[in-house]
Amino acid sequence: MICPVLRYRFLFEQLVRRELRQRYKGSVLGVVWYLVNPLVLMGAYGLMFGVLLKTAGTDIDDYLLFLFIGLIVWVFFSQSLLSAATSLLDQASIVGKVRFPRETVPASVVTAQLATFGALLALVIPVAVAVRGTLDPALLLLLPLIACLFAFVVGAALVVAILHAYFRDVQPILAAALLPWFFLTPIFFRVDQLPGLADNRWAEPLLKWVNPIAPFIEGVRSVLYDGRVPDGAVLLYVVVAAAIALGAGWALFRRMERELAVVL
Amino acid sequence: MTVAPGELRLHDAVRTFQLRGDRGRSLKELVLRRHADIPTVTALDHVSVAIDGGERVGIIGRNGAGKSSTLRVLAGIIPLHSGRAEAGGRVAALLELGAGFGREFSGRENIALSGALYGLSRAEVASRTDAIVAFSELGEFIEAPVKAYSAGMLVRLGFSIAAFLEPDVMLIDEVLAVGDAGFQRKCHDRLAERIAAGMTLVFVSHDADAIRFACDRVIVLDAGRVTFDGATEEALAFYNTSFEQGRPWTVRAAS
Repeated sequence: MICPVLRYRFLFEQLVRRELRQRYKGSVLGVVWYLVNPLVLMGAYGLMFGVLLKTAGTDIDDYLLFLFIGLIVWVFFSQSLLSAATSLLDQASIVGKVRFPRETVPASVVTAQLATFGALLALVIPVAVAVRGTLDPALLLLLPLIACLFAFVVGAALVVAILHAYFRDVQPILAAALLPWFFLTPIFFRVDQLPGLADNRWAEPLLKWVNPIAPFIEGVRSVLYDGRVPDGAVLLYVVVAAAIALGAGWALFRRMERELAVVL
Repeated sequence: MTVAPGELRLHDAVRTFQLRGDRGRSLKELVLRRHADIPTVTALDHVSVAIDGGERVGIIGRNGAGKSSTLRVLAGIIPLHSGRAEAGGRVAALLELGAGFGREFSGRENIALSGALYGLSRAEVASRTDAIVAFSELGEFIEAPVKAYSAGMLVRLGFSIAAFLEPDVMLIDEVLAVGDAGFQRKCHDRLAERIAAGMTLVFVSHDADAIRFACDRVIVLDAGRVTFDGATEEALAFYNTSFEQGRPWTVRAAS
C-alpha cells in the first residue's frame, strides 16, 4: 500500500506545486493572498470580539495572538476540506484517463494548504515567543501536533473528495456547514470562560470533544499561546482522531475509488 | 495469479454502464433510490482474450462495440463487474487526444506530469525529456500551453511521451490517425522498434489500412462480445461481411 505511494512521490510533488501555483496564478499579489486572508480575518474578528463586543475575549491577554492561532488552524482545516472536495473533479482529465494512486490528488491539495499554514506558523511563532518572553520546551510538541493535524485533515479530505465525486451535493453541504461550525469552534473564545456555560453544562463536552477540530486547536494553542504542554486528554484525542480519520478515510477512499473513472 | 510483463488476459470479463447524462449522483437520488430505471449498456459481455508479450493486436468493431471500454479495462482505469483482467508490467495508454494533460501547462510541463503519472522519478523523467521533445518535433511549441495545440500537435506530444516511457504494453485508441503522414511513419518505426524489444501493442482503429499495417492479429467486437479473433486479413473480411448484414445496437433497460 505504501510502496506505490512512494513510487509516485514525483507525481505528488508536481500536484502540490500545481495546486500552489494555479490557485492565484495571474493575480498581482500571487502567493501573498494566502497570508492576507487569515490576517484580514484576524483584524475583523479582533476588532469585533476583542475591542467592541468585549464578550468572552475580555480577560484573554494578547487577544489578537490568541485569535490568530485558532484562526490559522481553522483556515487550514476548512480550506483543505473545501478544495479537497472538488479536487478529483478538478483533475478529472487525468483521474479518468490514467491509472495512478488517486489518493495523491486530495492529499496534494491538503499538502499545498499545509505549506500556507507553515508560512503562517513561521510568522506567528516568533511573535508568540516574544510576547511571552520565554522559550518554552512545550514548543517541541508543536511538530507532532501538526503532524497529527495533517493526518486528520488528510483523512477527512479523502472522505469528502471521494464522496463529492459520487454525490455532487457534498461540497455545497460542506460549505454551508463550515460557517456555523466556525462559530461553535473555540477559536475566538475559550470554552471554560464562556459566561453562559454555568447554566448549560451539557454544552461543555459538546464544544470540547464532539467537535473533532476543537482539541487540535486547543492543543496547538496551549503550546503556542500558553507555552505549556496540553492536557493528556487533548493529546490522546489528537493522536486517536488522527489515526481514525486517516485509517477510515483511506479505507473508504480505496473502496470507492475503483469506479472513479466512470462517475467523473 | 500474475502475468509476465507484456501479457494481457481477460477472463470472462463483464462490464456494464448506465446510460445517463449527468454523471454524479445526487443525494436525493440516493435517498429515493430512483436510479433503477436508467438503461444500461453492456460494454464487455463475457470477453475472454489472451495476448502474449510482443504481439501486435488490433481491435475493430462498430461504434459502441466495446473497443474503448476494453482498452480502459486493460489500462486498469475501469474495474470489471465480474471476471478478471490482468496486465503484466507497465502499461501506457493513448486513449484520447490530450487525455491526461493539464491544459494550462506547457508541453514540457506535461511531459513531466505524464512521466510522474506513469510512476517515474524526477531523474527518470529528466533523462527522457530531450528524446521526447526531439521525437515530437514540436520545437518551440514545447514551451507553449497545450490548450494552444492543434490536434496533430497533441498526438505528437502524446505519442512521443508514451513511446519513450518504454512500457511493456501500449494501448492506442484511434488517435494516431490525426498525425501527418511523416509523423505516422516515424511512429510506426518507433513502435516496431519497441515491439522487437518485446512490447505488446493493442491498437483500436476503424482504418483497415492502419490495422493491416500495424497488426498481425485482430479481435472483432460486436455488442461487447468477441465475434472473431484471428489473423488480420481474415478478421477484416469477417468484419466487412458482418457489417453488411447490419444489426441493431444492444441497449436494454436494467431489470
